[in-house]
Formats: sequence, structure tokens, C-alpha cells
Amino acid sequence: MNKIKIKDEIILSNHETREIYLFTKEDKSQVFRLNENSHLVVYHYNIDKNIEIEIYLDGEHAEVEYHFSTINYKNNSLTMQIYHNNKKTVSNVFNHGVNINNNSLSFQITGKVLKTSNGCTCNQENQIINLENGKSTILPNLLIDNYDVSSSHSAYIGRFKDDILFYLMSRGLDRRKSNELLVKGLLLNGGDPEQKEVVILQKEIENI
Amino acid sequence: MLEIKNMIVHTKDNHKKIIDELSLTIKNGEIHAIMGPNGTGKSTLSKAIMGHPKYELIDGDILFNQESIISLDVDERAKKGIFLAMQDPTVVEGVSNSEFIKTATQEVTGNRINYFEFIKEIEDSVQKLNFPMDMIHRSLNKGFSGGEKKKNEILQIKMLKPKLIILDEIDSGLDVDSLKIVCDNIKEYLEENKDTSVLIITHYPRILEYLKPDYVHIMKDGTIKKTGDISLALETEKVGYHSINEVKESNIYE
Repeated sequence: MNKIKIKDEIILSNHETREIYLFTKEDKSQVFRLNENSHLVVYHYNIDKNIEIEIYLDGEHAEVEYHFSTINYKNNSLTMQIYHNNKKTVSNVFNHGVNINNNSLSFQITGKVLKTSNGCTCNQENQIINLENGKSTILPNLLIDNYDVSSSHSAYIGRFKDDILFYLMSRGLDRRKSNELLVKGLLLNGGDPEQKEVVILQKEIENI
Repeated sequence: MLEIKNMIVHTKDNHKKIIDELSLTIKNGEIHAIMGPNGTGKSTLSKAIMGHPKYELIDGDILFNQESIISLDVDERAKKGIFLAMQDPTVVEGVSNSEFIKTATQEVTGNRINYFEFIKEIEDSVQKLNFPMDMIHRSLNKGFSGGEKKKNEILQIKMLKPKLIILDEIDSGLDVDSLKIVCDNIKEYLEENKDTSVLIITHYPRILEYLKPDYVHIMKDGTIKKTGDISLALETEKVGYHSINEVKESNIYE
């Protein structure tokens, strides 16, 4: 893996709510610090870069919803760590990747809940679709040192399911168009289509 | 329209025979119904016509408008005008219903759609189906009730305008009011498209009372055992499928 040199930090103050669209153009380390009662929603789009993300839920009731979407052509990784450093903090992260060629894409996603952080919610959902015979890995880790926590993790690596492709194709979409629609659904789901970051990724998908 | 000749179909993974030398001819504008016990191959027949990759045609042929379609991919069969309304339509998360129908319409017609006409037509169809308008903006079939999924299949028929409609248990999971709405919409479509043919797969005569098939076929052990009119469906409902071999053979339909 390439050594990541660029590091950026975003801090949310007490009671701040923010929705952020990110498009990473180079290998990057991104840090978020959330204070009390702050609420962060991130739509993070990426093409073929290594990304490290650290999210510190430092204040009580801090909440993060993170949507990471990546298109992978070479060998890349996403490393994400979510630290529940205070009570009643909430994280819901959705990491979706499409691996185009025969290279590797890996997700290592770790949610950490401290012994003193009661009443937290720590969820992660991860999917990588291999369009060819790429080698992908997902490590969905939950390191929870507290009994009063609601938590879930899921990971799927594979192709789009045959029944879904059959359904789309039975309506006249060829395999390429079906895959394009499904990739858009996987990577752009929820993002505002007017945002320039979404438009860039959409164009990339249409050129796959 | 559709001619199935001595079709034998196996599952691709374990080579189990599901369809056994089945023959069926459906002419332009005809409505046919197939009934039969569970596990007799009715849904497999519909999927084999559509070209589902899970099934393998071992022998026989399928002609659509005098042209063999067995070498065509699923989407090519759809573009020819075959539509399979599925028993349990698949949920596709993240793909909006409107985006899907718009894309499918463009692919089937080969033309870019006129947005104004498309929106007007879809709104009109949604209204006639008594279908909440917000359904077309949701992920395809996600969170839809059984009835809503079936209505969504009919909505796609109205937008894609197929020549052969296969209804695979479209009546299952529909309450009486929804069944009437679905059937009224199909009848209206057939009125407007007189050459369109329909193959109905069902367990219940009620849908047949609405759609009035020209022929009813009883399927058992992977093939058609008996053919008649709607009275055969009503008779079968009374006596069951177990006695079907004992019923005196009448019009064997080819």
C-alpha cells in the first residue's frame, strides 16, 4: 500500500449539524472530530485511491452517518476507524465498492466502544462487488468493551445476484446496462444527484 | 406468436428434468391459462421461455413470431416483445422504479424517451392502477406489499408494451379489489393492443373469470396433460388435479 501523505481534519463543535460531500483525488487520510450533540452526514466518493478515515465521537450524543463509495481499478484499500469515546454516541457507516478489474480492493472497518461509553449504537454495512475476478477482502471489526451497546456489522463480497440481473434483463436491459444501473444504485444511493461529487462519480460509472 | 415444440428443460446445476416434451402454440391475440399442482414446472416454463440462465434447454425449440429464440439472451427476448410478470418480483435496492422503467423503455424501444410524454403516461398508468405516486420514486420493489409488487409489474407492461405477456401467478397475494384493478388494466391493455397474447399461470379460476382465456391447460409432471376451455378450470377446482388422468381426454391442443 502507498504511504498516505495528505491528511485533513474536520471538527464539529457542540450542537453543530453538517452534511459534507467529499471527492478524494489522491491517497488521503481524513479525520473527523465530533463534539457534544453534533451530527455529521458524509457522502464520500472515491476513484482508485487509498483512503484512511478516523472518526472520533468525542462528545456525548455525537452522531455520524458515513456513506463511502469507491470505484477500484488497481490495488487499493479503505481503512476506517470509528471511536466511540463518549456515552450515547451513534455511528452508522455504509461502505460500498465496485472492483472493476482483477486487482484487489480491501476494506478494514473498525468500530471501537470504550468501557465507559454506555448506550452507544455502532453499525456498519460493507459491500464489494467484483465485476471481474478481482480479489477483495472486508474485515468488519467491532471492538466493544461495554454491555450496553447496540451494534451490527455485515459484509458482502461477490457479483450482483443472478436473480437481480435476470429481472433487469427480462425488461430489455442488456448485461452492461444492468450492471451500470446496479452500480449506480450501489454507489450513488442517497446522495443528492445535483452535487458535483455525485455527478463526477456518475460519469465515471457510465464509462466503466 | 409463440410456438413451443417438444421442449425438455433441466436445471443447470443438478440436471433435474423439470419440463418434459412440452408443446404449446399461442396465436396472436389468444389468451391461454396453465394450471397445475405445485412443483409441476409452471414457473420453470415461464422462466425457460424468458431464458433464465438457471435452466437449460435440452431438446426442442421455442419460436416467437416464427423465429427461434433459444439462442437469444434474456434482454434480446424482452426486446422482441416477451414480458414475464413474476410471481415474486425482485427487490433492487438503490435503483429507483422510475429510473428503471425509463431505462427499460429506452432499451426496448431503442429511442430516447420524450420526458413529457413519459411522465404523463406513467402518471396516467399509476392512477389507473390505484398505485401511490411515490412508489415510482422508491427503490424498485423495495418495501412494496405483495399487491403493490404485482401492480408494479402491470405498470411495466403498460409502459413497455410487450406482444406476449406471461403472468406467473400474478393473482397470488392480491385481495379481491386489487385483483379486479390488475385485471381491468390488463383487459384495457389488450383492448388497445389486440394482437397481444397472454399466458396466465395460476392456481385459481377467479383471474380466469376476469380475463376469459381461450384455452385452459392442465400441466402435470412437466407437460400439458389436458386442454379445454374455462370449464376445465372450474371442474379442476372441484375435483382436484389428482384425478386429471382419469378425466376423459377432450381437445388435445397443439
